Amino acid sequence: MRKLLSVLLPVIVLAAAGVTWFATRVPSSPFDGVAGSQAPSPELIQRGEYIARLADCVGCHGSPDQPPFTGGLEMATPVGSIFATNITPDKETGIGNYSLADFDRAVRHDVARDGHHLYPAMPYPSYAKLSDDDVRALYAYFMHGVKPARHANKASDIPWPLSIRWPLAFWSALFMDHGSHHEQPSENAVWNRGAYLVQGPGHCGACHTPRGLAFNERALDDSNPLFLSGALLDGWYAPSLRGDPNRGLGRWSEDELHQFLKTGRNRHAVVFGSMTDAFNNSTQFMTDEDLRAIAHYLKSLPGDPRRDGPAWHYDPKSNDTLALNARLKTPGAQTFLAKCSFCHGADGRGQGQWFPPLAGAASLMARENASSINVTLNGSKRVVADGIPDAYRMPPFREQLSDRQIADVLSFARSSWGNNGEPVKPEEVKHLRESTDPANSSVIILHMR
Amino acid sequence: MKLTINGITHQVEAEPDTPLLWVLRDELGMTGTKYGCGIAQCGACSVMVDDIVTRACVTPIESLENRRITTIEGIENDPVGKRVVAAWVKHQVPQCGYCQSGQVMAATALLKETPHPGDDEIAAAMVNLCRCGTYNAISAAIHDLAGDERTGQ
Repeated sequence: MRKLLSVLLPVIVLAAAGVTWFATRVPSSPFDGVAGSQAPSPELIQRGEYIARLADCVGCHGSPDQPPFTGGLEMATPVGSIFATNITPDKETGIGNYSLADFDRAVRHDVARDGHHLYPAMPYPSYAKLSDDDVRALYAYFMHGVKPARHANKASDIPWPLSIRWPLAFWSALFMDHGSHHEQPSENAVWNRGAYLVQGPGHCGACHTPRGLAFNERALDDSNPLFLSGALLDGWYAPSLRGDPNRGLGRWSEDELHQFLKTGRNRHAVVFGSMTDAFNNSTQFMTDEDLRAIAHYLKSLPGDPRRDGPAWHYDPKSNDTLALNARLKTPGAQTFLAKCSFCHGADGRGQGQWFPPLAGAASLMARENASSINVTLNGSKRVVADGIPDAYRMPPFREQLSDRQIADVLSFARSSWGNNGEPVKPEEVKHLRESTDPANSSVIILHMR
Repeated sequence: MKLTINGITHQVEAEPDTPLLWVLRDELGMTGTKYGCGIAQCGACSVMVDDIVTRACVTPIESLENRRITTIEGIENDPVGKRVVAAWVKHQVPQCGYCQSGQVMAATALLKETPHPGDDEIAAAMVNLCRCGTYNAISAAIHDLAGDERTGQ
């Protein structure tokens, strides 16, 4: 026994020492020892502002009633809420004391200046791929282009011991690809730029890639077919961005993708749900060149016919059920005519780029029906393109339609015009009605994205 | 772009995504078509496009070139519309009247689609809202019109 102990003890001590070293070490940065005292050029600051748009920093680190980048957005974890932090250059409450290397460690290596690990609500598995140049520009912008604003960070309400941060070092070790983005020599420059934007700053996978049990994105690049294959998050289903013709982008051209990201709409869809924020704050500010690169890259990701099924084709037969003498006999048909058809078209084809079609809509064919229920209950948010709010938006039907009526009208739309979505159950509407009701104390709070 | 409204072609300056309702009321001064909810739910802004009832508040003018638009100002040039207005007067349908140009549009479109609508068809087609609650009078007027046709009067 004693002999066993004498062998085991050093092993245990060594292992404990190793774990402690790993969990508390400060990762190295290529900027270690780089002095950041001289003022950066206006061009570098401007470049950094653009990177902040690409990465949509303000999407989480901004809240409507506060100065920009002072944080405050509440995000849920399974064990409690955390709050986005102040990233203005305020020395006391923000990141004013961060060196370039400190900033790099927070953005690309999940470690804050005081050594604590960040929660992966910060999409650092994606930001890890940022280039050194982009990190330098981003730092210049946050230090010199953003006004310092005093606004104390709100502590998370995760209870001890779950609030201990060092185990996150192991999460990162398991679920991150460390190191900057690598170019694929077999692909052209446009493709590589698109891959960088999508996987890195754009962090598209934070919503569109399915997550595993540890809330980790199950793929961080195109080497895995699960990458951007669609995921449920915060009561919205972010559809596949791969070549799936039904539930993905298979029927979209590169030009249409570009138009969608630039103007928030095209003949297939209009941004809604969480994508409205991504559009309002981020994608519309990207250069045409970058948007074309994103479109080119996304269109190179193949779909999966086993997952997506046979490609959708418009079927006019379902319009018979909408005839004046037939529509009261089909559940959902009369509600569709009275509430939906004036915008989305009685034939389900929408109105150009202004009102999205329901015929062939990915959200109506996805197995996860959360997006269609959510947008029907709660409507869509204002799409603000180029500073101008759009003229049309989806109204909320929470007060107008019952669970049964919403289930019926969505089941109708999901099975009409060639759509092949499964029916919606009233219980599913009831569940989302409660969890998305702002008056409910357990309302859905944004997850990690 | 050009819009043909009540048989007259108008040159309009508005952007292609502008709702027809704004062009009618603000640019052309045709204020008989009313603004109610702005989100296609109440029907006060109903007009006909190629004889199909359409909510002007959610119809971008982009899609309306070479289409035939009918508003309340021109409804009596249409034989069915003329009969609807007469029935509306006979049954003294309007109270405050705000929704009624839309109601007349919906009734006219219904009777153009089917001259002898039954109860179910009337219920299915007449979905415009009326805060005064003139629904009974609307129903009576349309039943009268449907019967009119049947007796050939």
